[in-house]
Formats: sequence, structure tokens, C-alpha cells
Amino acid sequence: MIVGLWMMGGGAAAGVFGSLLGLGGGILIVPLLTLGFGLPLREAVGVSLVSVMMTSSAAAGVYLERHVANLRLGMTLELFTAIGALVGGSIAFLLDERLLSLLFSALLGYVAFTMIRARTRDSIQGVESPAIDAEPDDGPPPRPTLLDRLGGDGYQVRNLGRGVIGALGAGVASALLGIGGGIIKVPLMHLAMGVPLRVATATSNLMIGITAAASAVIYLVHGGIDPYVAGPTGIGVFVGATAGSRLGHRVDLRYLRLLFVVVLGYTAIQMLLRAVQ
Amino acid sequence: MTGPARGGAFQAERLIGRLLTGITYVSVGLLVIGVLLLMATGTSPTSGGPRFDPGRLLPDVLSLRPAGFLWLGLVAVIAAPVSRVTVALLSYVRARDWLMAGVSTAILVVIAIAVGSAVVTTA
Repeated sequence: MIVGLWMMGGGAAAGVFGSLLGLGGGILIVPLLTLGFGLPLREAVGVSLVSVMMTSSAAAGVYLERHVANLRLGMTLELFTAIGALVGGSIAFLLDERLLSLLFSALLGYVAFTMIRARTRDSIQGVESPAIDAEPDDGPPPRPTLLDRLGGDGYQVRNLGRGVIGALGAGVASALLGIGGGIIKVPLMHLAMGVPLRVATATSNLMIGITAAASAVIYLVHGGIDPYVAGPTGIGVFVGATAGSRLGHRVDLRYLRLLFVVVLGYTAIQMLLRAVQ
Repeated sequence: MTGPARGGAFQAERLIGRLLTGITYVSVGLLVIGVLLLMATGTSPTSGGPRFDPGRLLPDVLSLRPAGFLWLGLVAVIAAPVSRVTVALLSYVRARDWLMAGVSTAILVVIAIAVGSAVVTTA
């Protein structure tokens, strides 16, 4: 009984962080279950995938009702994260896990460094729109481009190509490492595509569900999810994610960014240790 | 986006948001029942649960076995994002937004391929 309560508590902590940062919490759940409860890595990954889906659904539901998440952009990108997850699942057993850990650690370190250097700006201000207003008044109304249709209030999406490639990479990483991929998708949308951080976080939460769904189905069919562990952990994640999504709009973006960098740095060190041990 | 289209999109987002929240609450309810039964029977969470067997779901639930409720809850969790995409697809078709309808369909096809490949490799 005590073990179950500890699992719930750990899941709640992971859920709060996952929701606030758009991470899904998988990065925290896998070490929690392996280091804290002695579960095999594979089982921890299976439980983590289900838990990040709960984080995604709980938080994304709130974000969508408040119109913070960008549904069109999220669905466009999650098509590619799902394809990436399929590809990643296919090559998962061909690559050395230590090499993957090393590469991932370098990626996380780079993203953390980039976010520290990112110019501080009011996220909701977003990116300037292209010169659509320059069209002559008497001509036909300009046909909205795909990027126009993917944008939101006060910002326009750019670099869709980079977003697609990044989403494919996030899907591959998700399938290989058992994470939701938000740790890649949030900076991708925010830094490369010009999406405000708060919208990027909410949209990432939305996308994590489908990204993890493909992998979770495979784990389910192959017996990689333990219901006795997934139950208490999932309940904890739900409670934490719900609290996190309701706190999200009250948290100062500067602190959110700082928190994100701290988590990126911590995860980078963990991955590096995993690679060299 | 025009006013009516924007209103329709907002309505769809609200509907999808409520759907996700609703399915999540149902799945959490099932998981809570499962965990309570787990504790009532004195079973340790680290003792190792049974594998997923669709044929055992109903008998386990009717017999008030923890695994039945836990598995039902977990299946609901996995079904939530897929349901969200399905509802989005219907909304986009209704709004004649063929591009996003195509994107939604493609996502469902990818998920179907994942399910199919998992079943084939396990068999």
C-alpha cells in the first residue's frame, strides 16, 4: 500500500512539471520507476508512455477549452511525430543505446544553451506578419497560405519545413527513449517556428498523446505495460497534470523558461551518465 | 480565418477539449477503482500484473478483479488522443476544411499501421 502511495506521489510531481513545461513527464517517470522502485527499464518506459498520454489528455483538454493550444498546428506536426515514432520503433533495436543516450544528451545541452541565449521577448507578441497588407486594394483578396492558416492570435508560424523535420526527429526520439517528445517540440515551435512559448507548451501537450499512442500500442501488445504500476502512477500523473495546467497561465514566462532550461540541463547530465556508465 | 469559421473552430476546440477531459476522468475513475481493489486485496504494485488480454476484460470487471478495471482504464487512456483526432476529422469535414481533414485521416492511418504492425509481429 505504501509503495502505491509513493508511486502516486512521484507521478503527481512528474505530472505538475510535465504539464507546466510541455514535457509529458516521461523524462521524470522513467528514472522514478527504475531508480526509485527497481523496475526494469522496459517496463518503466511502457508505464511512462501511458502516463505521458494522461498528462497530454488532462492538460490539453484544459488548454483547448481555453483556446491556448493551436489545434491546427498541433495536428499538422503530430502527423510527422507519429511517422517518426513508427520509424523509431523500427530502428530501436538496431542502434546502441549508449550512442543514443550520448546523442540525446548533446541535443538537450544544445537546446538548453539556445534557450538561455534566446532574446527575451514578450511571447504573445510573436512574429511579424509578412507583407500581405502590401497587396493593392482593388485586387482580389490574398489567398491565405498554409502558414497563415496555422498561425494564431498575434503570431504567425514560420519555418514549417524545419518544424516537420524536427517533429519527425521528436517522434523518433519518443519511440527510442520512451518520452513524449515535448522536450524537443516546445523549443522547436518556440524558437524555430515563432510560436509563443505558452502556446508551444500547450500545443506540445496536445501532440504528446498521439506521439505516444503509436509506441504505447506496441508496448501494450508486447506485454510491456504493467497495470499494477501504471494504475497508481497514472493517477498521480493525472492529479499533477491537472494542477499544472491550471497553474500554467499564472506562471511567469521567465520562470517557465528558466525552469525549462534547468530540466533540460538535468536531463542532459542524466543521459550523459547513462551513456558513459 | 473569417468570423463564422473562427467561431466553428472555437466550438470544435471546446468540444474536443471536453472530450479529452471526459475520457481522462472516466479512465482515472477506472484506475482509482482498480488501485483501491489492488490495495483491498493486499497486492503489491511491484508484484507484477497480468498481461493485456481483451477476452479477460469483462470477466475481470464483473468479478471485481483489479486487473479488469486497471486495463479498462489504460485502454481508455490510449484511446483518448485517437478519439480526439477522430472528432477533429469530423469537425473538419463538416467545415469542408479538406486539408486538415486529410491531415487527420493520415494521423489515423499511421496509428492503424502501428496497431497492425504490433499485432503482426506479436503473432
